[in-house]
Amino acid sequence: MSGKNRTIYYPDNCLKKGFFSTYRNIVDEIIGNRWLIFQLLKRELLSLYKQSFIGILWAFVLPLISVGTFFFLNQSGVFVQKASNIPYSVFAVFGVALWQVFSSGVIAGSASLVKAGPMIVKINFSKKSLVIASVLQSLIAFFAQVIFLIILFLAIGYDPGPDILLIIVFVIPVLFLALGLSFILSMVNGIMRDIGNVIPVFVTFLMFLTPVLYYKPDGGILKVISQVNPLYYLISFPRDMVLFGVYSEWKGYVFSVLFSIIFLSISVMVFHVTESRVAERI
Amino acid sequence: MTEYAIVADELSKKYCRSLKRSMLYGMVDISRNILGISSGPDILRKDEFWALDRVSLKIAEGETYGLIGPNGSGKTTFLKLINGIFWPDKGSATVYGRIGSLIQVGAGFHPMLTGGENIFVNGAILGMSRGEIKSKFKDIIDFAELDDFIDTPVKYYSSGMFVRLGFSIAVHAKPDILLVDEILSVGDINFQRKCMRKIAELKEQGVTIVLISHNLYMVEGLCDRAMCLVNGNTFAEGETVDVIKQYRDHMNRQREDPAYTGVDPINTSGDVMITDVTITDENGDIKNTFYAADKARITVKYNAVKTITDPNISIGIVRSDGLRCFVEKSRTHGFSLGTLNGEGSFNVTINKLQLLPGKYMFYFIFWDSSNSFAFARRQEDAITINAGGPGNPYESVFHPDIEWRKENA
Repeated sequence: MSGKNRTIYYPDNCLKKGFFSTYRNIVDEIIGNRWLIFQLLKRELLSLYKQSFIGILWAFVLPLISVGTFFFLNQSGVFVQKASNIPYSVFAVFGVALWQVFSSGVIAGSASLVKAGPMIVKINFSKKSLVIASVLQSLIAFFAQVIFLIILFLAIGYDPGPDILLIIVFVIPVLFLALGLSFILSMVNGIMRDIGNVIPVFVTFLMFLTPVLYYKPDGGILKVISQVNPLYYLISFPRDMVLFGVYSEWKGYVFSVLFSIIFLSISVMVFHVTESRVAERI
Repeated sequence: MTEYAIVADELSKKYCRSLKRSMLYGMVDISRNILGISSGPDILRKDEFWALDRVSLKIAEGETYGLIGPNGSGKTTFLKLINGIFWPDKGSATVYGRIGSLIQVGAGFHPMLTGGENIFVNGAILGMSRGEIKSKFKDIIDFAELDDFIDTPVKYYSSGMFVRLGFSIAVHAKPDILLVDEILSVGDINFQRKCMRKIAELKEQGVTIVLISHNLYMVEGLCDRAMCLVNGNTFAEGETVDVIKQYRDHMNRQREDPAYTGVDPINTSGDVMITDVTITDENGDIKNTFYAADKARITVKYNAVKTITDPNISIGIVRSDGLRCFVEKSRTHGFSLGTLNGEGSFNVTINKLQLLPGKYMFYFIFWDSSNSFAFARRQEDAITINAGGPGNPYESVFHPDIEWRKENA
């Protein structure tokens, strides 16, 4: 009929297509909506920094404060430190830069659908783009911290070598994991707001469970947990490599990267299958 | 063969009354879908009801279609299903081409962002590409009449400016099908007119339009066909005028006071009773349907329980949507009944009704001579004016007796 796109909506629409063609649809949708993702990201960022005098500088101020805190805590002997020529603050900023991509990504991503609820029930647009844009917000603070890290390196006269640029690559699996978790949590949060209340607490808890600010202990329960915690590998392998030239946990890292890819593939499928269901309950 | 833009086949949607149950059902449905099993959408669970029940409809390409009905009858739900925002629970909706929706204007605007920034974001959400938005940016601003405010955050906009911008973006998104949900009631009269012109323009360009409105005159003026929904069911479907008539009749039946049509009730002393009103044509035959050019005679019988001197009598004509078309008092016309005692009657002749097609009601009020209180009032005698002559019903009220003649230059 007239060469126009035909769209049919059925009950349980998501079950009408095969597995692989659904994946192709998902990929097409995300690629086709790059511009929308960019606009949604812009919307988030502009609204975040607009009604404030120092604007985007907040992205630098907050990490600066947190580094100051780590420095202070370390001076007071709260964190145990390995004997090394790398100052604790460098160690902490490196870890936090990657960590916060995960933490703020998950917090923003899981709230994204609920936050845009009024829009979701009135306009039919790509909800995946909304989640992706929310998670990507965390990259702004990440880049601010990387710049900060480079300044710190210059200040202490330590040359990390070209390896430091790899942090741009190392951030990708962290993003995948945050995105995967956001797809699931945003959907559940859309139906039961309980999730939204739990997430910030859950993320903070996870931070203390993951050796971000401290070295992996040599024994005890934390060591066991760290060994099966993909976040630990995703953060500490790049850090060990760049700061200490240690590659010993590469197996764990490879597994964690694979895990984050598989987890994202599953969760994006779950999201795809259920996104309209969430729209009607949000 | 007719090319259809929208085909709804037994389209149904259920909603849940209870929030907690809705959460539970949501989780159950999602879990079932994730496991690849049907959520059993055609079965009603506890607290669920059909918000839209087996509504079938075919809308041809380029047609303008009206959706009318009381509040909560499922009109917006229908649009949302057509738009793919919700999945149907039964039946199916097939749509050809790009859909532009104005279910709520300015949904997705961020208050902190300027008008210009919102054009980009909102345009992208509505499915416009970067190039499209850039090339239409100026047109969007011009249409919305926001030249001076385009760099102002939207939160400082008046509600009219907000709606203008939203409408402007949506119509510039070049939809094949435009869904409009009762949005034109916002904005001042000039902008409303501009919107109507724009809709007419889109209509001419072959855009299919589905319009929800409670302004029945607008629906009548714009829509080729219409459907009336009541409680999620198709109540009437077909020619706009017929559907509107059925809807009005339905709503009139629903009223507690069936005689009330927009004129506030007044207290009457009951000293006089209007016992009968008959409406006849020029031959004296009782009728209730007329043409615009017809003559009508209304005979009023009364019974004065007490002696009344020189009452002032009002006659009024009220259109079925409550618009008072005509009121006159006997005294202005120099007519007097003198002293009333017991039964009597009088008549009023209208030489040409000059009303547009529709349903009208007559009312009569007997006022005391100082007009300070009423003795009696009656408003239940309706006539229908049939279409049968020229005249565009849109935004017009009466049908004067006119003549066209060519003059020699």
